[in-house]
Amino acid sequence: MNIENTQSQMRKGILEFCILSIIRRGEAYPSDIVEEMKAANLNILEGTLYPLLTRLKNADMLTYRWVESNSGPPRKYFSLTEKGLAFYRELEATWNELANAVNTLASKKEQLSGSGGTTDNQPTINQ
Amino acid sequence: MKKIININFQGRVIPIEEPAYDILKQYVESLRNYFANEEGRDEIINDIESRIAELFDGRLKKGSACITDADVNAVIDSIGRPADLEQAENDLAAANASANSGNNNSSNQQQSYTTAEEPRRWYRSENDKVLGGVCGGLANYLKIDPAVVRILFAIITLGGFGTGILLYIIFWIVLPSRALASNSRKRLYRNPDDKVIGGVASGVAAYFHIDTWIPRLIFALPLIFGGITSIFNNAWFDFNPGPVFITGGFGGTLFITYIVLWIVLPEAVTATEKLEMRGEKVDLESISKTVKEDLEHLKARAEKFGGEVKEKAQEFGSAAKEKTQSFASEAAPIARRTGTGFGHAVGVLFKAFFLFIAGIIAFALLMALMGILFGGIAGGVSIIPFKGYLLDGFWQNVFLWGTLILFLAVPVIALLVWLVRRIMGIRSKNHYLGYVFGTLWTLGWVSVICLVGGVSRNFKTRSGVESTITINQPIKEKMIVDVASSNVRYYGSDWYGIDWDHKNMPFYGINEDTLMLNTVRVNITKSKDNDYHIYQMQFSRGNNPEEAKALAQKINFTPILKDSVLTLPKGFAITRNEKFRNQQVLIVVEVPVGKKIAITKAVEDYEWFSINVNNRRGWNMQWDENWDNSYRWDAGVEYIMTPDGLERLDKLDLNELKNGKFKLKIKEDGVDIEAEGEFKNKDEQYQYRYKQLEDSIKDKVKEKLREEMRVKDSLEREKKIKQVTQKNSGNEDPESIDEPVSASGLFSPVTFLSKF
Repeated sequence: MNIENTQSQMRKGILEFCILSIIRRGEAYPSDIVEEMKAANLNILEGTLYPLLTRLKNADMLTYRWVESNSGPPRKYFSLTEKGLAFYRELEATWNELANAVNTLASKKEQLSGSGGTTDNQPTINQ
Repeated sequence: MKKIININFQGRVIPIEEPAYDILKQYVESLRNYFANEEGRDEIINDIESRIAELFDGRLKKGSACITDADVNAVIDSIGRPADLEQAENDLAAANASANSGNNNSSNQQQSYTTAEEPRRWYRSENDKVLGGVCGGLANYLKIDPAVVRILFAIITLGGFGTGILLYIIFWIVLPSRALASNSRKRLYRNPDDKVIGGVASGVAAYFHIDTWIPRLIFALPLIFGGITSIFNNAWFDFNPGPVFITGGFGGTLFITYIVLWIVLPEAVTATEKLEMRGEKVDLESISKTVKEDLEHLKARAEKFGGEVKEKAQEFGSAAKEKTQSFASEAAPIARRTGTGFGHAVGVLFKAFFLFIAGIIAFALLMALMGILFGGIAGGVSIIPFKGYLLDGFWQNVFLWGTLILFLAVPVIALLVWLVRRIMGIRSKNHYLGYVFGTLWTLGWVSVICLVGGVSRNFKTRSGVESTITINQPIKEKMIVDVASSNVRYYGSDWYGIDWDHKNMPFYGINEDTLMLNTVRVNITKSKDNDYHIYQMQFSRGNNPEEAKALAQKINFTPILKDSVLTLPKGFAITRNEKFRNQQVLIVVEVPVGKKIAITKAVEDYEWFSINVNNRRGWNMQWDENWDNSYRWDAGVEYIMTPDGLERLDKLDLNELKNGKFKLKIKEDGVDIEAEGEFKNKDEQYQYRYKQLEDSIKDKVKEKLREEMRVKDSLEREKKIKQVTQKNSGNEDPESIDEPVSASGLFSPVTFLSKF
């Protein structure tokens, strides 16, 4: 319960990072992003994604163009702006740094306290 | 059997069952609510709708005839219900942890932290704090609103002279800190969206689900009451624009409460907080978390993200040692992060202080204005019965009403309207009301200027007529000036329901057709010959000298001399046609040297006026040359005219006094008064010293002497009786037995000195 706040803060940064990394590879349609993230075992609802995209777009991180589709009205395809790319690079650097730091610290902890206390929690991760 | 309707949904024609449509509509509406505080709400909704339409389209292409409940629910599931979104967040967090942390060891650590069942106890709250999170933690422990705890704490601190602070510091040191989830659904916040000062009232209103104006009115009550009483005081009693409303009793409590709440309550910035503020929980809260951060903070957050996660990571790493962590090492990041909390408190205190000062100044100014306005209205209204005598012609009447209503009443009404609207939170974009008030007030100004101009034109010049009253010389060589007790039967003193018996009014009566003026003055001068002379001057103001003179002539004031008593009428009447133009009557009594005059106290009822000799405006009459040096006199005292002027009969005999020195020593009420001086005749020094004597000691001397004389009189009488009884003869002068004090009240400075 009390970790909720931390998690939400972490997740938010990561979520943007993930979305940006998908879009960086090329123009993306929101539902494609959802699919891709799902494939990477990172579930996101479209209801969460759309506000994020809009916010990123309003912050000039993203831009979009209308692409005609054969199945009806045109769809919005998002791509990264210069600013968005720079933002992504920053996030990426931060992420790598963090991942290293967290891993290092966490593994140290493991050595100190032993794995005994945490084994019973392991199944929950893999759910 | 279900009805199918065709809807135009994002440019696509969708056949949909009516119940399904209702679900869809409700869903979109709920999303709209959740994203209410999002900047790009419409765009988000549009995108989501577009996506829904696309999914429907795909569904239809697969062969469905129409969209059913099931289809809608499937789509909604894929997009996510507001309630689902929170769940999604949690899942995502977990997924993130497993997907990105790579090696499982670290995720173990995090996971253990997440799922560890903590016994509920009092921690310092990491994420809900103003200073150190003590109150927030206690609230969490007690499962109550942190605001309540903070308010209680603030009261303890304010009431207990700082014991609260000591307690707080102790708890800050003793208690470990934890990130605690909010377990109180409804919280008291300050509402930044709807505020007059700090948003406290509107936050309270949101908390209790009442209209904003109610708490606002309660907080404003002392201000309003103070204002009203102050206005009344200013307008009708005395002028005292003090901030009594803030300093005193109930008002003070409310004022302090407001300040405390302002400091203690957090501002509802994010959507979650705003929802918490209103106690709207349901599942709105979950989605609001995704909407939490505002656009502007996106970049800053991304930059801060690293630092924050690092900090967290460190905390995870040292979780085992958490309880032994020293206060100092922990205080550093807290101090940095809670800088806002402490800064907020200080800031609010400063704000409150300046607001207080500014409030006092503004209030004083406002009260002064209101005092003037209300006083003006009161004064103006009191002029109404008077106006028939004052105003001339139709337009001046119009301008009077214009002044009263437009110039004085309009700003008062405007102010009240503004206050009420401010309290009720009514804000209109158009400024018609302002324009209307402005225009009316401008008209009011025009009225004032025209009125003042018109009236002052009627008072422009002053003129007068002089007449000599022929009298028979009083036989007793003494003249008494008296005022007729009532020579006019006069009714209507309560005309307009007002008691006109005012001391400071230039009139003593008013009714529909008559205004009784008592601007009468009596002057006493020295006669050039051996006869009494009485002159009567009548003055008036007017538009031009002729008019003024005509009005002055119309004054009907006839003194009557009978025997030795000059009886003056109580006043003179002005009819409605004559108008009030500050008519005045001056009676000059010339007293020959050696003869006496007494003026009764009744004369003091006259409204004294200044003769205004120095400001004649080119108008020159004989009288002011002759009677400039008239003498001061007190009513009810007998005077004698001497070559040097008017002297009191009961006072020192100046003829003797002024030739010699005098020394006085009076013991009165334990205070010694000593005076020494020398009188020199026809000398400026004499004048000065004499005057000084008069002013400073005269009264006391007089009183003392009177008293002594009374004692002596009685002693003499006793002695006389004794003499008469003992010697049986009256050949000895009673006055030579004791000190030579004249029974008549006259005595010489020689005897006077000899007494001391």
